[in-house]
Amino acid sequence: MQTSLQIKNLQLFRQNELLLRLNEQVNGGEILTLMGPSGSGKSSLLNWLTGALPTGFTAEGEVWLNNNNITQVPAHLRHVGVLYQDALLFSHLSVAGNIAFAMPAGNKKQRLEKIEDALEQLGLKGLADRHTDNLSGGQQARVALLRVLLSEPKAILLDEPFSKLDSQLREDTRALVFEQIRYHQLPALMVTHDHSDAKAAGGKVITLNKTE
Amino acid sequence: MTVTNKVQVNQTQGVNHSTDWFTRVATFSPKFLLLLLIVPVFGGLIGVLLPAFGWAPALNQYSVGLQGFNALWQTLGLTQMISLSIATGLISTVLAFVITLMILAAFFNSVWLDRIQQILSPILVIPHAAAAIAVGFLIAPSGMVSRLFSPWLIGWELAPHGIFPHDPYGISIMLGLTLKELPFLLLMALGALAQPELGKKLRQQHKVALNLGYCPITAFFKVVLPSLYPLLRLPLLAVLAYASSSVEMPLILGPNTPPTLAVAIMQWFNDVDLNLRIKASAGALLQLALTGGLLVLWLLGEKTVKYLFCESLTNGKREYGGTYWQIITAIVTTLVIVFIALALVGLVLWSVAGFWRFPATLPDSFTLIHWQSAVMQIGEPLFNSLLIGIITTLLAIALTLLCLEYEQIKGKLLSRFTSLIIYIPLLVPSIAFLFGLVWIQQLITVQVSFISYINVIIAHLLFVLPYVFLSLASSYRQLDPRFAIVAASLGTKPSKVFFKVKLPQLFVPILIASALGLAISFGQYLPTLLAGGGRISTITTEAIALANGASRRTSAVYALMQMLLPLIGFILAWVLPKFIYKAARR
Repeated sequence: MQTSLQIKNLQLFRQNELLLRLNEQVNGGEILTLMGPSGSGKSSLLNWLTGALPTGFTAEGEVWLNNNNITQVPAHLRHVGVLYQDALLFSHLSVAGNIAFAMPAGNKKQRLEKIEDALEQLGLKGLADRHTDNLSGGQQARVALLRVLLSEPKAILLDEPFSKLDSQLREDTRALVFEQIRYHQLPALMVTHDHSDAKAAGGKVITLNKTE
Repeated sequence: MTVTNKVQVNQTQGVNHSTDWFTRVATFSPKFLLLLLIVPVFGGLIGVLLPAFGWAPALNQYSVGLQGFNALWQTLGLTQMISLSIATGLISTVLAFVITLMILAAFFNSVWLDRIQQILSPILVIPHAAAAIAVGFLIAPSGMVSRLFSPWLIGWELAPHGIFPHDPYGISIMLGLTLKELPFLLLMALGALAQPELGKKLRQQHKVALNLGYCPITAFFKVVLPSLYPLLRLPLLAVLAYASSSVEMPLILGPNTPPTLAVAIMQWFNDVDLNLRIKASAGALLQLALTGGLLVLWLLGEKTVKYLFCESLTNGKREYGGTYWQIITAIVTTLVIVFIALALVGLVLWSVAGFWRFPATLPDSFTLIHWQSAVMQIGEPLFNSLLIGIITTLLAIALTLLCLEYEQIKGKLLSRFTSLIIYIPLLVPSIAFLFGLVWIQQLITVQVSFISYINVIIAHLLFVLPYVFLSLASSYRQLDPRFAIVAASLGTKPSKVFFKVKLPQLFVPILIASALGLAISFGQYLPTLLAGGGRISTITTEAIALANGASRRTSAVYALMQMLLPLIGFILAWVLPKFIYKAARR
């Protein structure tokens, strides 16, 4: 089945002032890139998509995920994964613990095997029991990616996910993330400042203007 | 040029070769602080240890032995006293902690959390005794609760004989303690979450857990609590230590046959039969063991909970009936708030009530006569409360500021040992060391008329200092050091930097810490009673003395006055800066 994330006739307001208008559809494996200066409503859009629009903001329009209207669904039931610019790993859990936390409940042994496999695929073999603070920036980014992917999301949002990595690491991590998005056929929406991110995504690019 | 170098070296490398008087005073201050806390607390503990084993020069008893303990073991109802102390201490702490967690979990990242905080935080400044009086009035057979439901629902035309508030199971004490400690724990948790770095991290991680499909309540328990708990440990232990050994609440709300251990010890100490003091000292040691045991039990419980739930943190289960918990929490929170509000309204009504027949919800007539007669008699206790409160608070503020300045001069935080000692008076049952302190004070008889005031101030300082320190430390440590460096580089002396640059920036935090210090001092009962030898009466000692004997109306007036004093302090701390800044801008 073709998966898709649809934003239907969205109008986002801050204190009754129109921030942005959007009407887009992203299909599985595609990456829609949003660019624009700060204050253009990019983060508010992501907050709206995850179901956590702060007070002071209002939105009209609908968001559909795989032909289900999820506009009124609470944040934790949306199955929308997010990668932030910080890895935001849980410091009270090990690397494996962080990933296990994200996975659906199930047989303990199968879950552990799945974690081992996933870590190996991303070149993190042997790090399962490590404390997350002892990982390099690149390793942390990859664990965060695994955490989102193994939670089996139906769509993925990227909130400037590479902006804190230095350039070589940035390219490698970016390639990895995009490859995984295509492999899992997830609709993805990326917010970024960086033109090279947009180019690498290879999808539609929308540039937002700062509204006055 | 030399000044510049010196100060910058001090800031960065911690080398201290200044001979400036102020720097010397500041350098000495942590040692003085330690002395001021260690000598009374540990001296007091020794002072209670020796008489417990029969060595009491004040009573001309020098035969070392176990007679005190023998007398203690033979006390009728000792087991009940111990069980009552353990049950009330442990259950009220667990309840307050559980409700705190439920509120945090259900309303994390919601505007309701701030609202609940705003409603509950004034409860913090209400002294325990006043809170106990208010709760007692509310749950008494002829109290607000039964008035609201009579006679239409429960059919009571006359006030029944109920077991509350002095019920033998200590339920009233637990209720009072839980209601009083809940706002404290909640505020401590919110204070920890208000730390810029930790708070931001935990809020973001909570959001990540939501995105991963976790119900908000589960997300709090699996993601936020493991990182938050270490910061709540010390406040929790302080609450547990207080709840298991305090006398204010059990005196007003507890049973008398037998009372809690702490209350019994106090009665033995104050008995005309001086030989009971040996038994009381043994009892104080038992209290120490009891509270210590509870603290250890809590720490073991912590380990057990961690061990049991470690696996389930990562089992992937996202929902544990969150919707129901959300509703239960909303109901419990509403009940708590309504209960507190009713207690306060009841107190105000009693203080102005004329004739008030049961089951009428409101008094038949109102009168100010109770207030008038109280105002006539209140002069001395009020003067004592203010005098002791102000001197204690000034000392506490000065000492805290100097210690924090020492940190900046040295360029490093106070040692772990010093930080721990600051909180020792909150963890050691005050009834244990205060009695030792009284023994010592009786040995060293100084013939000065105001010696009892000095004793009381020293005793109050033990309890005021920790809170003042807690309240001021974070603001002082967050001061931008560059202001001081700039001032010093212009050739300003360290003392002038402290008084002219740092203190003005800390004006508001100092006012708030002062209001807090005053509130803590106003509320002290046992230290005033014991260190003052019963000769110094304050609003609080009067309120407790009146609570069990005099009329409800007089008692209500005193309880309200007890609340008004700290309230005025906080209002001043809130209003003064506005006026002063306004004046400065003209």
